[in-house]
Amino acid sequence: MLEIKCPYCGKRSQNEFSYGGDASLKRPQLEKEISDKDWDDFVYFRSNPRGKHSELWHHVAGCRQWFKVLRNTATHEIFKTAKINEEL
Amino acid sequence: MDQNFRIDKAGYINRNKKISFKFNGKKYFGYEGDTLASALLANGIHLVGRSFKYHRPRGFIGAGVDEPNAQVQLYKGAKTEPNAVATLVELVEGLEATSQNCWPSVSFDFGAINNLLNKFFPAGFYYKTFMWPKNFWYKIYEPIIRRAAGLGVAPLKPDPDRYEHIFEHCDLLVAGSGPSGLASALAAAKNGARVILAEDKSRFGGSLLTDEVTIGNKKGKDWADDTITQLKSMPNVIVKNRSQVFGYYDHNMLVMNERTKDHIKDPHKFTPRQKLWYIRAKEVIISTGSIERPLVFGNNDRPGIMLASAAKEYMKVYGVLVGKKPIIFTNNDSAYDTAIEFKKNGIDPLVIDVRANSESSAIKEAKNLNINIKFSHGVINTKGYLRVSSATIGKLNSNKSSYESLENVSCDCICVSGNWTPTVHLSSQSGNKLKFDEKTDAFIPSQSRQNETTVGSANGIFSLKQSLDEGFNKGYELSNKITGKNSKSTTPTSNEKKYGSHEKFWCMPLPKNKNYKRFVDFQNDVAVSDVELAVREGFRSIEHVKRYTTLGMATDQGKTSNLNGLQLVSNIEDKIVPEVGHTTFRPPYTPVTIGAIVGREVGKYYRPTRKSPMHLWHEKNNAVFVDAGLWLRPRYYKQGKETLFEASKREATNVRNNVGICDVTSLGKIDIKGPDTAEFLNRVYTNAWMKLPVGKARYGVMLREDGIVFDDGTTTRISENHFHMTTTTAQAVNVLAHLEYYLQVVWPELDVNVLSTTEQWAGVALAGPNSRNLLSKLFPEIDVSNESLPFMGYKEGSLFGVPARIFRISFSGELAYEINVESGYGIFMWEKIIELGKEMNLEPYGTEALSTLRIEMGHVAGSEIDGRVISSDLSLEGMLSKKKDFIGKRSLNREAFLNPNREKIVGVVPLDKKTMIPEGSYLVKDSNATLPNPKLGHISASCWSVEYNNPFSLAILKDGKKKIGEKLFALSPLKNKNIEVEIVSSHYVDPKGERVRS
Amino acid sequence: MTAISPLETVHKKGLFGDHHKKNENDLLKISEVKDLTIVQVVQYKRSKINLNSIQIDGLDFPLQSPKVSSNKETRILWSAPNTWLVISRKERIIKTVKEKCNSDNFAITDISHSRAIIQIKGFQAKDLLKKGCPLNFNELGNNNCAGTVFHGINIVIDFVDKDPDTFNLLTLRSFGESFYHHITDAALEFGYVGV
Repeated sequence: MLEIKCPYCGKRSQNEFSYGGDASLKRPQLEKEISDKDWDDFVYFRSNPRGKHSELWHHVAGCRQWFKVLRNTATHEIFKTAKINEEL
Repeated sequence: MDQNFRIDKAGYINRNKKISFKFNGKKYFGYEGDTLASALLANGIHLVGRSFKYHRPRGFIGAGVDEPNAQVQLYKGAKTEPNAVATLVELVEGLEATSQNCWPSVSFDFGAINNLLNKFFPAGFYYKTFMWPKNFWYKIYEPIIRRAAGLGVAPLKPDPDRYEHIFEHCDLLVAGSGPSGLASALAAAKNGARVILAEDKSRFGGSLLTDEVTIGNKKGKDWADDTITQLKSMPNVIVKNRSQVFGYYDHNMLVMNERTKDHIKDPHKFTPRQKLWYIRAKEVIISTGSIERPLVFGNNDRPGIMLASAAKEYMKVYGVLVGKKPIIFTNNDSAYDTAIEFKKNGIDPLVIDVRANSESSAIKEAKNLNINIKFSHGVINTKGYLRVSSATIGKLNSNKSSYESLENVSCDCICVSGNWTPTVHLSSQSGNKLKFDEKTDAFIPSQSRQNETTVGSANGIFSLKQSLDEGFNKGYELSNKITGKNSKSTTPTSNEKKYGSHEKFWCMPLPKNKNYKRFVDFQNDVAVSDVELAVREGFRSIEHVKRYTTLGMATDQGKTSNLNGLQLVSNIEDKIVPEVGHTTFRPPYTPVTIGAIVGREVGKYYRPTRKSPMHLWHEKNNAVFVDAGLWLRPRYYKQGKETLFEASKREATNVRNNVGICDVTSLGKIDIKGPDTAEFLNRVYTNAWMKLPVGKARYGVMLREDGIVFDDGTTTRISENHFHMTTTTAQAVNVLAHLEYYLQVVWPELDVNVLSTTEQWAGVALAGPNSRNLLSKLFPEIDVSNESLPFMGYKEGSLFGVPARIFRISFSGELAYEINVESGYGIFMWEKIIELGKEMNLEPYGTEALSTLRIEMGHVAGSEIDGRVISSDLSLEGMLSKKKDFIGKRSLNREAFLNPNREKIVGVVPLDKKTMIPEGSYLVKDSNATLPNPKLGHISASCWSVEYNNPFSLAILKDGKKKIGEKLFALSPLKNKNIEVEIVSSHYVDPKGERVRS
Repeated sequence: MTAISPLETVHKKGLFGDHHKKNENDLLKISEVKDLTIVQVVQYKRSKINLNSIQIDGLDFPLQSPKVSSNKETRILWSAPNTWLVISRKERIIKTVKEKCNSDNFAITDISHSRAIIQIKGFQAKDLLKKGCPLNFNELGNNNCAGTVFHGINIVIDFVDKDPDTFNLLTLRSFGESFYHHITDAALEFGYVGV
């Protein structure tokens, strides 16, 4: 069971959170033209690194804030967490 | 009674408390503080079971977790527990144990025929036999093997005991209360750290219980007892015995199993039997000690052959002699303590030492006591079927490859020692990359991945002085790191015996022309010949050898066999051990009963349920409930002896003809406020929202970014910047998370607040041609006419003094309204409606009738919105705005989504107008076609149409709209149905939607 | 017309569990907390109002987790950034909040009916919570609050008093019966009195 430091609530147990996927995703702007390929990349393609992965978690049982986590996908080591508007 | 092997005035048992117990139906006596093993040994009993494969007679090998053989079945009935290890079972009055894996008895077992046929059962025989003829497998081989396999018998009744969990946090967790563990805990506690000290056994002290040492002028055990007393008095310390830390997980979480009740005769009713502690520790000290290695020689598995340290423990802790004619067989000095202990109790042991010589103080002491020692000798073979009776010993030649002479010696026990294996399990589980230590000839921890430190013999440190130093230093260092305090404790002086080095020789070669079975893994009956066979057959990796031979895979997890097996493989392959590697250590360290892991989430409460404020009324009125996620919703209200079919038909018919009331509290409600709310809804839904007038509701559909329909609902504009969104029951939680994601992560510039209000409001649906009548009675002061409250209108009012919200929306397709009041008034509202509706024959309806009504109207719900369909499949393409972008819009340009032959929602009616079509049935053109039969579509939902009085289904069908009027077949191989059907419009009832607008 | 409380048909008064041979005053006390007004207050992102200038019932808005501002009748819990739960015995509190926090700058939503609230009181209270909640109670002080889980059910823990430790535990109304079961079940080992 992981221990994750919510940037607002402090260190909490994994069962208070829900995993939210790749944090590096940038949703393309509304109303703006975009190629099929770029759109498909956004919708479907993800890197699957063995090692450091920046990802989103949602503190569903607590403050209900989405935030970023830098985690090693092979060892689960968590290096850093940050608010959505901060750099990891 | 007897207890002929009990020593007077020895051990730490309580001789004032005699305890009676039963073994294999016979009654025996022991004392409080005994284990089942020590009590049996006190009564002279060594034979306790039969080995797994060969059914060989087996006895005790160890005195603790190292025990591979002595597994017994405890108790009977619901409390019965298989594979209980006798060395770990504390004796309690009334204990009942029986031998496993033998029939009719442990001393006369038919299964022993396996031993005679052992040539046909080497390692890997599973993969080579029972293959032919093919059909013999199911009828003959499998049933026989199933009956013969396994050890104990699983209980057939639910576990009657309570098990609880505890979440705890600490600065330092110390696993093991031997000298290094006690030192660490004391040093850290005195320096202000929050400490948890966990000891697996009932007694604290570890090696201090059996070793002749002094610490600070006290006997080792006295120092241990005093330290424990001190620790228990400190408010920042939790001291636990009978508690095993069995697993090391992520981020320094460790799990400990506390055995709270098994040793107590009449415990309190609500004391849990075991407690599982989830401990998050900032730092961990692993002081788990080490386990003695057996020596490998011919027939080394007979009852009476055990580890030298176990024999010593039985004498010193339990006051029990394991035999009266012992042989001590060793390759190191530590076993001499056992010989000395025997001598002190009036028994003359014979020491067989494979080494040429040793001059340590232990040897000197033994010689001074006139103990007979034979150097350069080894035990080659043993005799004695139900108990070892003699050993063949031989003088080893200079390179230990053969024997110069042989002789037979009679004995009644052989105490073996092949040196020590540090217990590195927790360390390895934490991710520590172990390294092979030449001196210890075993693996010890090396590179930590988490905040853990190993001390004492688990770290390859076998000197008491060094262990104490290490413990005190680490305890201080780690506590200082955490608390910043500087209270350093001084390490007390200590006295111990000096031991020399061991000989790295532990496997006796076979004499010429002899084929004795030399066992490496006792529980799984794996011998040297099996490991040799595996290597001969090409298995090189230790993981493969393990699985092919099953070495180390038994319930003892190879504690006494892994290292020997590993070295055997490396010897055969002529590699050094670190090259061969070691198998992965996995928790739990010893078996844990499943009840402990489940805790209190059992029976009715294995998961939480959600109940509406009107739940009690439903119960009292014969509602039969159905699970809708975690919610319990009435499926139907049973009148008399009605079936589900009859009740739902009655309820749905009453709605179509009259008026019905349904509890819709579980549907998601989200309160949305803020200056950018309308803009946000515009981006989230496919249709337009900016211009929705205040006081009006609108149906909305949301997509995922890949264009697939995500959820639908009705959202109402309560005021300019205040909206009330509804979702389906199933997606309520996901939709809220979805909205929060977009507001926080994607469009943080939008100023909108979303909040779930599902629980704030109790909700009912009033549906049917008479619903307006009833509504006007409920709200006599409000104009509820069609003009004043049109379809998709919204009003607020007072329901007999209670504030209410009225939405004119319809799921059933009839004239309908949804009324919300604050939950505390839910029952009041419901009962008021029932009361006022009596004269109109108002009836409550459940989810089954609710489904019927919406299915025959062609309204889509979860069974159609299944994560595979897009808006146009559901005939909702009219809701896709062309003027604005929204979530998922861009994906709708995909080729597959533009394909005109895509599946579309249609209605399906069986030609015979009688047969219900099972949901999930496939639609095909020709039911007799050979496989594979092209699937044109599937049935998503079925009901009995109360409007037309025949079965009706909704389906998703390729090119559906063009197929209206065609005849197809609905096939359900699962339910063995083949039904000829006609395709019709999905809007079977009221296709123009006139009723909702009436 | 009085509202029905969430645990009205669920909460049982009396002595339960291993309470024998224990002083009744020392037993854990379990009760339902009823008739509280609960309001969610959220300050909009573009609001320029200075929070320091607003007091509700004399209380400031706490600025971070796990803080609570409180007096005898009213408690303001930090819930999320710019989000608070105002919990009060005073029914008028909604009116007060709406007056002090105008709707151009704040989203105010009454959720008084949406929660079931159980109070546990006694020296065993923390130990009870530890049986189902992974929170670090060594670091939760008096007048702190935390959103967390108990046996899988989302709850808010409000540490309202010490001597003895007193906690108000809030959960969604529909979970009330399941939550009550898990709390009382965890109390059986200690013995408790339903008041």
